[in-house]
Amino acid sequence: MEFDIIITNAARAAVGPEALILALAAIGLNMHFGYTGLLNFGQVGFMLLGAYGTSVAVATFGWSLWLGVLLGLILATAFAITLGLPTLRLHALLFAIVTIAAAEIVRILVGSTDAIGLTGGPLSISFDAGAFYDLNPYPDGPNDRYGAGTFEFTGQQLWVMTVGWTLVALVSVGVFLLVRSPWGRVLKSIREDQDAARSLGKNVFTYKLQALVIGGLIAGLGGVLDAIKTSGADPNGFRPQVTFFAYAALLLGGLATYIGPVLGAILFWFLRELIESFLRQLVAQTWLPDAIANFFDGAEGIISVGMVGLALILLMLFRPQGIVGSRNEMQLNG
Amino acid sequence: MVESVQPILTVPAEVGTPKPNPILVVDCLERSFDGLKAVDIDHLEIERGVVTSLIGPNGAGKTTLFNLLSGFEQADKGRWQFDGQPATHTSPDKLARRGMIRTFQLTKSLSKLTVLDNVLLGAPDQQGERLWAAPFQSKWQQQEQANRQRAEELLERFNLTHMCHELAGTLSGGQRKLLEVARALMANPVLIMLDEPMAGVNPALGQSLMRHITQLAFEGVSVVFIEHAMEVVTGLSDWIVVLAQGQVIAEGPPWKVIHDEAVVDAYLGGQQENRQR
Amino acid sequence: MVGLTFSAALAWPASATAQNTADSDAPSIGNQQSSDEQATLLEGTLRVGFEQYVAGVTISVSDSVGNLIEKTITNSHGQWLVQLPGAGTYTVTLDEQTLPTELKLREGYETTTTVTTQQGTSRAVVFAVGETPQGAAFGERVAQTMFNGLKFGLIIAISALGLSLIYGTTGLVNFAHGELVTFGAIIAWYFNTSWGGLNLLAAAIVATIVCAMLGAGLEKGVFRPLRQKRLGIFQLVVVTIGLSLLGRQIMQLFFGAEPRAYNDFQIQQRWGIGPWEVTPRELMSVAVITVILIAVAFSLQRTRFGKAIRAVSDNSSLAEASGINVNRIVVLVWVVGTALAGLGGIFQGLDTDIDPFLGFQLLLLIFAGVELGGLGTAYGAIAGSLIIGMSTELSTLWLSPELKFVVPLVTLIGVLLLRPQGLFGVKARVG
Repeated sequence: MEFDIIITNAARAAVGPEALILALAAIGLNMHFGYTGLLNFGQVGFMLLGAYGTSVAVATFGWSLWLGVLLGLILATAFAITLGLPTLRLHALLFAIVTIAAAEIVRILVGSTDAIGLTGGPLSISFDAGAFYDLNPYPDGPNDRYGAGTFEFTGQQLWVMTVGWTLVALVSVGVFLLVRSPWGRVLKSIREDQDAARSLGKNVFTYKLQALVIGGLIAGLGGVLDAIKTSGADPNGFRPQVTFFAYAALLLGGLATYIGPVLGAILFWFLRELIESFLRQLVAQTWLPDAIANFFDGAEGIISVGMVGLALILLMLFRPQGIVGSRNEMQLNG
Repeated sequence: MVESVQPILTVPAEVGTPKPNPILVVDCLERSFDGLKAVDIDHLEIERGVVTSLIGPNGAGKTTLFNLLSGFEQADKGRWQFDGQPATHTSPDKLARRGMIRTFQLTKSLSKLTVLDNVLLGAPDQQGERLWAAPFQSKWQQQEQANRQRAEELLERFNLTHMCHELAGTLSGGQRKLLEVARALMANPVLIMLDEPMAGVNPALGQSLMRHITQLAFEGVSVVFIEHAMEVVTGLSDWIVVLAQGQVIAEGPPWKVIHDEAVVDAYLGGQQENRQR
Repeated sequence: MVGLTFSAALAWPASATAQNTADSDAPSIGNQQSSDEQATLLEGTLRVGFEQYVAGVTISVSDSVGNLIEKTITNSHGQWLVQLPGAGTYTVTLDEQTLPTELKLREGYETTTTVTTQQGTSRAVVFAVGETPQGAAFGERVAQTMFNGLKFGLIIAISALGLSLIYGTTGLVNFAHGELVTFGAIIAWYFNTSWGGLNLLAAAIVATIVCAMLGAGLEKGVFRPLRQKRLGIFQLVVVTIGLSLLGRQIMQLFFGAEPRAYNDFQIQQRWGIGPWEVTPRELMSVAVITVILIAVAFSLQRTRFGKAIRAVSDNSSLAEASGINVNRIVVLVWVVGTALAGLGGIFQGLDTDIDPFLGFQLLLLIFAGVELGGLGTAYGAIAGSLIIGMSTELSTLWLSPELKFVVPLVTLIGVLLLRPQGLFGVKARVG
């Protein structure tokens, strides 16, 4: 068993592009649910629109990549507004189910064969993200590698990570500035009791819509980065469980904390890859009976996602405040 | 109250009687639940700058009347004016911004905000509550400082200074009531509507709360509050409105209302029943 | 002849989420490979709409001078793949004769297309397949679609009734309900095939009992302790999401992602009844579910247990005070609710095929049915589910079948906007 490889693999996933995309989705959710109490279960819909907006603009319309990024962000905003206007008055649980349904509607429409001409339909769409990689300052020859051992990246990957984590930092600072202001205070009051906020003259609906748009925009940005990273988008990458993963990251880190969603996303991918790497190593061990090895062989991903489920349950039972949240605050329910 | 004879004292004690300077005028207000009329008021005026109390037995429709007037519930029919402007079909937040501030019977303290933040939330016209200004502290810092000072004064008045930085969820029931009144006062109300502000508050604090309420009226704020116990009401209010089964059955100054036969029948009878329970 | 047109959507293995295996949603960068050694491939997936795959269709690939490179047949996921000798231009031909009779290529697609590939890449080729617009009278198509809608609606209804009972009694919104549905289907499959090979009826009964036991276990082992811990609504929802992920992955681990079918009732002669052509299997499903729904609704209404359940739903502390053993009633509700979910899964498995995602795919529609009818009302859940099932199938008269799940979801959103309390729910009094 080579534990150093397992650890470096996990560390690699923890700082990789998937983690930073998840971090953006979780930061957005924190804005929605952590601060405003909006139980948005359709976060993946915002990511999808960010990714497809970029991909379609470049691949189908032939626009420049930057216009594509803009389209992705506009679509995410538009989704927040069209979704929010009619539904923000609904009860929290109904809102949850409407948002999950809306995200599924978008995914089915984008992935239908009727949409092949526009989005590539059930096939993935791909485009040339050269404009992004042209700015890459890291030499990216076939032999250029950064890091050591298996903790190693190509110049392109390093560039995606540099830009991505910078954006995560900027977005986090932005959220911090917003939330510590009186505006943020109103959001929290809405989370605690929207009638109280209303009775003090706050236009609850407007604040909720603002929060929905901002959080959706952040998730949309995650989607844009996802599209750039993979030079395309695939409807199967935007199933409801992506939203659940974002919740897992957020809850792991700590609801309504500034650093929680980022830490949570990093830890989420670290643990997932840790489990998968460990299982991959395990099945290669000669001392393991064949029957067991065969059972686990190829099932690493299945097991690691199951572990996410288990982690969510244990987290709610034993540490609902996450890593950095305050226990006292969590106990003040209602 | 003692210094000058208030105009309200010249008003006859009759149901629906007009007042010299009303802050709130209600016409033909109706609201039913499952066919039962919870509120059914022909005409009611609330005088400006005095303390009016709204009393009545359980289920008389007091809280429903508050909910309707403050926009939290929809009336089946009826019109009402607040401060000379129509207030029918107006959202609660709009009414609050016009100066009609209410509290709730079941307190709505914001558990995971500090006591100070709870009160600060009440401040009106905050620059920092606008999305565009929020990230730039310099745009709202000064106003926030001023609000903070005022909030701390209010908390001191209600003996909550020591809890200032605690989360509101850790307060006792009585303290939450006081916090809610402090928060309402922070909003600079023209009319403050308190739903059973004394319930659950310890007697000493209750006394001090009552003094604040009379002081408010002296400062020109109109006060309406719902109360259960007749004893509390008589010493405190300038005017009493008695509700029973959704209707105003009597109104007038305290010394007249407590002797009103209809009140004795409907209300005090109900009181006794309550005691027996 | 007529019936086939509409059953095509359900007759083909509906392993919608075959690609929904855990590791496909976001490939980790930890195990990337260098691309220079990759083969040059042509591949494709043949499906009706988004979710139904077409197996057994012959695809042949020839090079630019007409030499046949390979002839292949689509697998049970509708997939085909041909390895090419290298970059170049190739002709891909779909043998229309091998398409099921009710299917044909959609307009704008030829049986032969020419593609150019690059060395070391995998190139996708699309043949869009649709159902044949046959000469059947519109009225007959409507009638047949309505039958399908009824059948699908009943399957949703029996699952939704379980969800609604549990919600009504305990206030729990169970995101793992879909996995309970799947569990029923899978357990029945095991009893029907590998474990003793019971006939399907016996397997279904045994599976329902196993589900009921699982329900009791979940309540006693998981949800009662959680209630005693006084977790908030949100925390409970997260726990059920966790259970959903965990349960689905465990089932996938043991059952595999490949769709499978029961041993019995696979192929049946269709009977013509009036404008309908139905298999005895479908008739039996409809009849059995209807009987079960009526029986459950009746016992909720009339029996002592039913009355106790309703008392607990209305006000559990009052029920407790009046001498009802609330804990026992809640266990009973879980037993009944999970058994109903399992039955829903068994019937859905009869109609399509069984895979670990069967229930999760239905979950949103089950939610939609429950909410449409008004949260927590048993009759509402049944009526709402029938509307959902009906609108799902009827939409295929005008829309392509891959969009059919969009219609009930849009319906749900529309109804909630107009009547947030649901169609049959009572508006709650505020304050």
